[in-house]
Amino acid sequence: MRKTLLLPTILLLGVFVGCYWISAGATTGRHAIVFCQQGQIHTLDPAKMTYLQDIRVAEGLWEGLAQYAPRTLSPIPGVAKWWTISKNKRVYTFHLKHNARWSNGQRVTSRDFLFEWRRVLHPHTGSGYVFLFFHIAGARRYFNSLAIHPHHHLPFSSVGIKAPDRSTLVVTLNHPCQYFLNLMAFAPFFPLDRHAMRHFEEVQGGIVSYNPIWTRPPNLISNGPYRLTDWRFHEYLELRPNPYYDQRKQVHCQLLKIVNYDDATAAFLAYRTGVINVLGFIPATLGPALVKQERLGLRHDVHITPVFGTMFLDLNCRKGVLKNRLVREALDLAINRRALVKHVVRMPAVPIHVLVPPRTIHGYKSPRGMGYNPNLARKLLKRAGYADGRGIKPLRYLVVAGYPITARLAEAIGAMWRKNLGVRIEIASEEGKIFHEDCVHGRFDVAGEGWYGDYPDPTTWLDLFLGGNPNNMSHYRSAHYDQLLRMATREPNARDRFSLLHQAEAHLMDKAFPAIPLFQMSDGMVYNRAKIGGIEPNFRTLTLLKYIHRR
Amino acid sequence: MIGFILKRIAQSVIVVWLVYTCTFWLLMVTPGDPFVGQKQPPPAVIAALKARYGLNDPWKAYWRYPVDVIIHGDFGPTISYSNWSVAAVIKTTLPVSMALGALALLFAMWLGVAAGVLGAMLKNRWIDHTLTIGSLAAISIPNFIVGSVLLILFAVNTTVLPSGGWGTFRQLILPAATLGLAYWAIITRLMRESTSDVLNADYIRTARAKGSSPLRVISIHAAPNASLPMLAFLGPAAAGILTGSFVVEKLFAVPGMGNVFVNACLDKDIPLVLGITMVYTVILIVMNILADIACAMADPRVAING
Repeated sequence: MRKTLLLPTILLLGVFVGCYWISAGATTGRHAIVFCQQGQIHTLDPAKMTYLQDIRVAEGLWEGLAQYAPRTLSPIPGVAKWWTISKNKRVYTFHLKHNARWSNGQRVTSRDFLFEWRRVLHPHTGSGYVFLFFHIAGARRYFNSLAIHPHHHLPFSSVGIKAPDRSTLVVTLNHPCQYFLNLMAFAPFFPLDRHAMRHFEEVQGGIVSYNPIWTRPPNLISNGPYRLTDWRFHEYLELRPNPYYDQRKQVHCQLLKIVNYDDATAAFLAYRTGVINVLGFIPATLGPALVKQERLGLRHDVHITPVFGTMFLDLNCRKGVLKNRLVREALDLAINRRALVKHVVRMPAVPIHVLVPPRTIHGYKSPRGMGYNPNLARKLLKRAGYADGRGIKPLRYLVVAGYPITARLAEAIGAMWRKNLGVRIEIASEEGKIFHEDCVHGRFDVAGEGWYGDYPDPTTWLDLFLGGNPNNMSHYRSAHYDQLLRMATREPNARDRFSLLHQAEAHLMDKAFPAIPLFQMSDGMVYNRAKIGGIEPNFRTLTLLKYIHRR
Repeated sequence: MIGFILKRIAQSVIVVWLVYTCTFWLLMVTPGDPFVGQKQPPPAVIAALKARYGLNDPWKAYWRYPVDVIIHGDFGPTISYSNWSVAAVIKTTLPVSMALGALALLFAMWLGVAAGVLGAMLKNRWIDHTLTIGSLAAISIPNFIVGSVLLILFAVNTTVLPSGGWGTFRQLILPAATLGLAYWAIITRLMRESTSDVLNADYIRTARAKGSSPLRVISIHAAPNASLPMLAFLGPAAAGILTGSFVVEKLFAVPGMGNVFVNACLDKDIPLVLGITMVYTVILIVMNILADIACAMADPRVAING
């Protein structure tokens, strides 16, 4: 007995002790705040970020030329102490403060911005937000020349980004851009320490790239409220105050641990058992129950708010019966949003008939959109030649697998269309990557989509329906619409520009129907306000980790 | 012995290559584009990324990965977690899965042996029946249900144990119990059958006849021979526990390799899926060889012919 069981026991014990010792990180002290996000961290390279969970961390690690004001989220001075905007609103001159420091004590200069922006503009870097840089004069041409001739491209001096001295950055735009200062607080525009990056330079085939280990501690150098002291893959990130940060007095959290859970229910349990202090999202499956408990006064830690995101249906304008505008309009009119929100979503979402969530952008007036009108819908369908849905094959309705809410929405919408129009659907539930591939290639009739705005401007939605936009899943193409957006881009007057954008959205929502908006999404956080402060949920779902603190 | 090991290693190389080939081409023919995501970058960015990961030409990639592994010991950077190379991901997540698996197996082995011997000694008594029913239930109930029930009992209704995560020993108890339960059941069944076979053997009757105490008969005479089938099972069990831990890792938010593997498959992260599959393959093969060697050392009757 002893002999036969001894060997495996010793072996297993050895493996256990050895592996546990390697993998177990430092335990969290009482003063730490554990902040939980849904979904894993994909990258800490600000140039490449597209996921909200990555961007939130970046906002804690770096500071752009501007930063978001705590409540209003309007841009306030960051690394730039002040700035001037030329009369034609095309030239921005940023004056950097002299006491901006990297986490290694070096000074942040305008050349660090130049260095990083140049890196973003290289197709090889793989930036998902590179299109935001195309507001800058010459940037698009520079990017395209690099894509076509990596070795004989236009010089970077052709791009409107100049650093005349260490503390001045001059940016020239193609057109006036009302939200350009907002972008200066957005992750892809953050600077990188060009001296520190030099150690990770790798040249392959004449193209400079950086060994990705630069993002891992202790290599990562940042200039924001925190510095990264530990990063365990799929486990946690550890942030501690950056001693060189000039607004160090505003940072009150000594140790911020960011954990990422894939499973929302597991995350909620961890919150309940006290492993997590702040749940940075509302778990989708538990949302309605939590909201109800909050309303009944059974709990006081659920903080939920409508956000800058819309759930909508993409209609494939290039295929089958949906090429017909009347059919698309009929489908739009036959959906009762109010019932959807009340009975299916059961969260504080707002039923809407337009793409851009109304009253979220100061000065922008949303068009009216269409209401719920099944009688008119039936008439339109008849006029299109498909009375009572005759002659329409079941529509292929795509949803992303793993999100029960989208499947339930599809079933409810399918029932409404069947009852009101006689149109049937076939629900296809696909994994994210396959879903997006099918959308890009137009292998669907209807696709359930959610879109969060990146910057406070209607174009963050309206650009989606431009011909040739890779995110134009409806494959909608209209010369008139493209023209309206082009005119808006060139329009220097803010009010006139909004009026053009209003016309453009009205064109989509009252005439063309490439998409059917359903509701403005809601999101929030779960945490005890008596214990944690400084992170009020806001409509942009941006959590300014800088201000988080224990009460 | 050495000849046997060499022969097994030669066979293993072929198996590894076959697994690599199948995995690679399956990844190529399954739908989904790793570079297509929630927000589409411009086509030029996608083209540059594809070129950088060498995925424009599948045949080139097919031959390049093994060369990379031999020269750099790595499959290169992952696609969805581009700050981490495949080797770095495996290096941080494999120890987690291994620690969890080893603890689960330790628990399964010792409790399984104890329960199996007990069942055989008290054959057809109520303890035996209870253990039989219990182990059959443990084999048939999927581990996400076992895990959920344990969570409800120990983390929801009472907060005796943390619901998951990684870092302290207490956080390991629930996932290890969930993961080990099915293996405990199998070992219990194996031990019960083999012990009751051995207990009927002539040499046991002799031992009893010469007046050995029942405890001595069991522990010195019966159990060593009876645990041989269990030992042979430990190899595949260790591999199975490592490769099958993804549900438990997800449920208890354990940052192990199984969890990463599922995400990698969903993200269609080709280098990461290949890397983890190859690690799993090698573990499976090594565990089986080790189990064979352990059996040979424990029982000279098991002849290993080189």
